[in-house]
Amino acid sequence: MRPLDWVVLCITLLGILAYGVYKSYGQRNMEAYFLDNRSMPWYIILLSIMGTQASAITFLSAPGQAYSDGMRFVQYYFGLPLAMVVLCITFVPIFHRLKVYTAYEFLEQRFDLKTRSLTAILFLIQRGLSTGISIYAPAIILSSLLGWNIYWTNIFMGGLLIIYTVAGGARAVAHTQKLQLAIIFVGMFLAGWIVVHLMPRGVSFKDALHVAGKLGKMNIIETKINITSKSFWQDKYNIWSGLIGGFFLALSYFGTDQSQVGRYLTAKSIRESRLGLLMNGFVKVPMQFAILLIGALIFSFYQFYHSPVFFNAAAVKEVENSSYKPQLTQLTARYDSIGKIKKTAVQQLVTAFHQQNQTDIDADSYRLRQLQDSSQSVRQRVKQMIHHVDPLADTDDTNYIFLHFVLDYLPEGLVGLLIAIIFLAAWGSTAAALNSLASASVIDVYKRAMVKSASDRHYFLASKWFTLFWGLFSIVIAQFANKLGSLIQAVNILGSLFYGSILGVFLVAFYFKKIRGTATFWSALLAECFVIFIYWLNIISFLWLNVIGCVLVIFFAWVLQQFLPVAKQPELA
Amino acid sequence: MMHKLTDDNMDKPPLFRHWSGWYWLLIGWLAVLILLFYWLTIYLS
Repeated sequence: MRPLDWVVLCITLLGILAYGVYKSYGQRNMEAYFLDNRSMPWYIILLSIMGTQASAITFLSAPGQAYSDGMRFVQYYFGLPLAMVVLCITFVPIFHRLKVYTAYEFLEQRFDLKTRSLTAILFLIQRGLSTGISIYAPAIILSSLLGWNIYWTNIFMGGLLIIYTVAGGARAVAHTQKLQLAIIFVGMFLAGWIVVHLMPRGVSFKDALHVAGKLGKMNIIETKINITSKSFWQDKYNIWSGLIGGFFLALSYFGTDQSQVGRYLTAKSIRESRLGLLMNGFVKVPMQFAILLIGALIFSFYQFYHSPVFFNAAAVKEVENSSYKPQLTQLTARYDSIGKIKKTAVQQLVTAFHQQNQTDIDADSYRLRQLQDSSQSVRQRVKQMIHHVDPLADTDDTNYIFLHFVLDYLPEGLVGLLIAIIFLAAWGSTAAALNSLASASVIDVYKRAMVKSASDRHYFLASKWFTLFWGLFSIVIAQFANKLGSLIQAVNILGSLFYGSILGVFLVAFYFKKIRGTATFWSALLAECFVIFIYWLNIISFLWLNVIGCVLVIFFAWVLQQFLPVAKQPELA
Repeated sequence: MMHKLTDDNMDKPPLFRHWSGWYWLLIGWLAVLILLFYWLTIYLS
């Protein structure tokens, strides 16, 4: 990083911090703190929902995902617009009319205390741990590429936002997310524009897309279907898992995860909540497409220019310092020589495109694909070497690709802006998570079970203390994350294992009026055991686990209710 | 009753008479995007 980058980085981060503190003034009670007195317009809801979903890893990982695996990741989001429609029809009106603070509060009104407590505690455990990991994940990438101390990076990544989140609650979170997203969009647009601008003379945007396409990176839609094949169910990203699995995942995330529910509960009316969610449905897929497209363009760019054999330089350095150094030097030389041949081949392919000579296009594409396979096999061997040197090392460099490009090729100043974007994206999602963790702690645990009748001032102050507690807890988790090893992945998986069952509980609450709390509670536990067992069998992609968990809860609850008494229950909405 | 009327007025969608208009528009938008992406996949492969 050069001096101008540091200036841009510091000004951007301090500006956001000051804006967050400025927006904190004037809050005196708990409803203002958690829901901003239900006063937000739809466009703030939209930006807040988007800012909460888009973490730092979204912007680091998605371009790398397109580089490694192609554009097909976008299909993961196809179920989201459909989920927005269901949320607007069912979830939003009920949550608003009951004037709940948290999604779990509704479950006690509809079922009983144990169902509410189960879902709230699952949320607190999962979100508390994953917030720490979501601070650590971008921090380790930045510290690895820039040589920063990981502990200080964690503190800056997760610490500064605590100031405005504790002081300003939901309002500060939403308004800073608005500004953060504006900066993020500008930065990402500039990064995309520069990738195209840096292509060799004579290579247009269209040529770059064609190169990426010929090498299998423009695989946006995959429609193949074979329900008898195991690989179909294990395939994470195709149109079917995207539409069906993605729908259930988005419905769980936006309908039952307090970090999102807490955002649209701040809306001044049902109308504003609905508009915010619907607009999210309109913009999310194109936005992800645009971010992935940057990755596909970076892939094309690296066909013309030298790319490292492995994008995580720190991991390569460890191999260089080991007994594997001679083999690494040999493999790197082989990778570079393939790169030089590839450069000539890709230039011939572009010439064939310009001449519209189909025979040459086919021949050059075939040759280029063979060269691509050769360089991939060299990369694979380097990854094996990294694993031999350090069995705990991450051999997936997907998250490092975009930032590596930024640091190597973007002009002074813009590098600082892109680093700032990583911080801002982390701040946006972490701030919303802390606010939601505090609201679930105060509303579903502290006020419900510990101090039931205190003044509003007392709960307001407790809310601030809980926000501070969760902020510090997340930083502590981030500081110890490098010692957690494979537990990090376990934490990430934990969320997707529970989401389906929790969604099932909510869908029973909304659509099956005769089913009561006891049947639902035991069904959720039983369904969860099945989901964990299916996950352990490793026969299906995680997106389908949400569908299975949800359907099983509804089925078990319906069956169990046939054997249990139906107690009278008041109408809710 | 009054509360219900206020709630309904606050919930009127813009541009359309009913929210279902927005829902169909969003589903249509998704369909258009999928078709566009499908065409791009074929065109660039």
